[in-house]
Amino acid sequence: MLAYALRRVLMLVPVFLAVSVVIFSILHFIPGDPIDNLLKVGAPPGQRAEMMARYGLDRPLPVQYAIWLGKLLTGDLGTAIVARRPVVDLIAQALPHSLLLGGLALTFSSLLGIALGVVAALRKDSLVDRMIMGGVLFGSMLPSFWLGLLLILAFSVGLGWFPVSGARTWSSLVLPVLTIGFGGTALVARITRVSMIEIASRDFVLLLHAKGLSPFEIQIRHVLRHALIPVVTILALRIGWILGGAVTVEVVFARPGLGTLLIKALSQHDYPVVQASLLMLAMAVMLGTLLGDLLQAAMDPRVRGALA
Amino acid sequence: MTSLTIRKSIIAAGVSLAALFAAAGPSVAQEAVFVMASNEVGSPTYNPIKASNLNIGSTLIFDRLVAQDADLSFHPWLAESWEEAPDGMSWVFHLKKGVTFHNGEPFNAQTIVKWLELFKASENAYMTEAIQTVEVIDDATVKFVMSRPEPNLLYNFSSSYLSVVEPKSYEALGDNYGVTEVYGTGPFKLESFTIGQETVLVRNEDYAWASSLAKNRGKAKIAKITLREIAEDSTAFLELKSGGVDMLLSVPTDFLGEVKSESNLEVVTLAGQDVAYMPINVTKEPFTDIRVREAAAKAINQKEILDSVYGGVGEVANTFLISALPESKVDPKYQISYDPDRSKALLDEAGWTMGADGVREKDGKPLRVSLWTQSDSSFRRLTEVVQAELKAVGIDSEITTFDSSAIRDQYKSGNQQLAVRSYNWDNADIIDWFFGGDRLGYPNISMFNDPKAEELRKLAMSGSKNMAERVKNFTAYHEYVLSQYPMAPIYQPVNSVAYNKDRLVLPAEIHSPGVGATVIMDMEVKE
Repeated sequence: MLAYALRRVLMLVPVFLAVSVVIFSILHFIPGDPIDNLLKVGAPPGQRAEMMARYGLDRPLPVQYAIWLGKLLTGDLGTAIVARRPVVDLIAQALPHSLLLGGLALTFSSLLGIALGVVAALRKDSLVDRMIMGGVLFGSMLPSFWLGLLLILAFSVGLGWFPVSGARTWSSLVLPVLTIGFGGTALVARITRVSMIEIASRDFVLLLHAKGLSPFEIQIRHVLRHALIPVVTILALRIGWILGGAVTVEVVFARPGLGTLLIKALSQHDYPVVQASLLMLAMAVMLGTLLGDLLQAAMDPRVRGALA
Repeated sequence: MTSLTIRKSIIAAGVSLAALFAAAGPSVAQEAVFVMASNEVGSPTYNPIKASNLNIGSTLIFDRLVAQDADLSFHPWLAESWEEAPDGMSWVFHLKKGVTFHNGEPFNAQTIVKWLELFKASENAYMTEAIQTVEVIDDATVKFVMSRPEPNLLYNFSSSYLSVVEPKSYEALGDNYGVTEVYGTGPFKLESFTIGQETVLVRNEDYAWASSLAKNRGKAKIAKITLREIAEDSTAFLELKSGGVDMLLSVPTDFLGEVKSESNLEVVTLAGQDVAYMPINVTKEPFTDIRVREAAAKAINQKEILDSVYGGVGEVANTFLISALPESKVDPKYQISYDPDRSKALLDEAGWTMGADGVREKDGKPLRVSLWTQSDSSFRRLTEVVQAELKAVGIDSEITTFDSSAIRDQYKSGNQQLAVRSYNWDNADIIDWFFGGDRLGYPNISMFNDPKAEELRKLAMSGSKNMAERVKNFTAYHEYVLSQYPMAPIYQPVNSVAYNKDRLVLPAEIHSPGVGATVIMDMEVKE
């Protein structure tokens, strides 16, 4: 298992390098640069070139990439050009908010998704099953941006239960968590349901029935335990997606976080900030995948063998 | 975990949650929450010397030497009065006495010397570069010896980038100045600042030197102000509607109807500093022909656009400058306004004859041009109307949309023909910025490089000895540029501010180009 984990971690290195090249090139190939956001009306014509040189933007792209990567490997994310602060500070300020929101949303969609999936599996093909599956599918299709505004209208403006936006109190987390959480619920519910139905048809379940255990005990204590294995893997994979998916939700709720940071930096073409935030999101996806794979390998020896 | 401990933790969680809900209630009296204009969201620092973007907070933390009224005239603030030498080569400024910074340091003539030194080698150096030396005459009098006359000095001194910072702490704090701590002489002190989130300001209890434009010369009436940054307009509006905030410093036109329909909300409109216009690339066929440029410019029906796109809110634009500027008062013959007959006649004269499909042709080639715009929905709408108006005189244009950052880079290619865009500035030197021959591509989207214009530009920018002369020279430069049709002016928006009238009382008259220190000094929170 340890050898598998080690190999799996080492595989991240080339992926990381490839991702860094892609992020760097896409960003530098799209038109626009941060200097336009720094020049004020009246600035002398020569100031542009001067500032390009100051930030090293006049050098060939491969050189700029090499410098960036070199610093990155020593843990230096650089200094934001437009925001003029160490990128590490900006990320350190944003990341906890994103992790908290993402973590809570993940917990919410797991608990609700598993509960709905179990109920749907137990009532397979009934009206309840169809209503739950239809409902979660509908919920997952709503764009989070729109759903967020809808929740604000209902619960903040209409009922006045939660603040519209910001991150000053715990209550301001409720609506953003619901907005992101609803999206993931459908996936978890569907996988739980399918997995439960599949496990329930196995021989050992028949044996348990024969032993005379109550159907409820069989379903919850035995079937669900096995059925959760793929669910856990999917949840691990979703960690990165949740952080990335929170981008628009953070903007709607005017919450601090990686998303808010990224959107602002993108509009200003603040390269160091965009590069670092995208890399953070990519790393979250990569680490989530790694975690998913490791969990699966821990639970299923065949996976470990396949890579050897 | 036993059931008892579970129950205990649930109760504990409930209690703490309830406490948090209680804390989220409405703010107490004499505290106000404002939402910054969306173009100010994300300003990274309150350091005016190095900043390229400052938000409203800087106008509350710092004072300036000179204040500007809504009509753009100049009035005393930290400078009680000033005299300008007849040749424009020196200025004497008399400073207010008894002024202190938030950290207790005194404000005096020495402060001015050290403060102006800080600008050297900074990105904002050009704003003070005409000042050669600063002489201290006495504790409250300074003399600026100029390297060339700079009638624009008063404008610069009223700009938030020339906010007066406390020099000792500025040097001591280095990069942290304006981020963690900041010291000015303004009516409010910085309590906390989280980039992109919010700034909390508390009243400066010693303040007694407001600009002459404020009625209240003592300390501010509001004890604490929270400036929130909300990028999404709908969220900001819903915060105002639900009472979460007291004022939005900029409301998009799309939301005005909704704000006005709420009984507890009020909208104040201030003269805007924006002009929407259509740059015409003078180096691209068919616009190399001045007749075609004039025809395109006069095809734009400014009044129709004001009424149909902006619901009549704002003003039409007939020159390149906002109408509050004296340099916008050009000879009426240079004003550019809708004249479809003239437009059609000019196109006929230039050899572009009307084709069967409503598109003009010349030598078998149709009059088809590109029309660039930004992706924002308001720009799209405006551009579609412009497209229809061009079509009405026989010019067929195809709209291409870019995002606001990428379009500047596209302009640098010089491939544009027509575009629809806007700028925000309240000084005549914007003509130099957008039509200067050494700024081709971007900002000079029109690729306008005309020897006579360059001559007039030089005279306007650096050849004026005093303000009256500067206005005269800039008016002449402006008139000449208009006569060459490198653009068509379209529309001047207003700046709409929305507030909760159950919470805030605004001064009856707004003596400032926008909401800033002058307005907030006279603002009150209802008990």
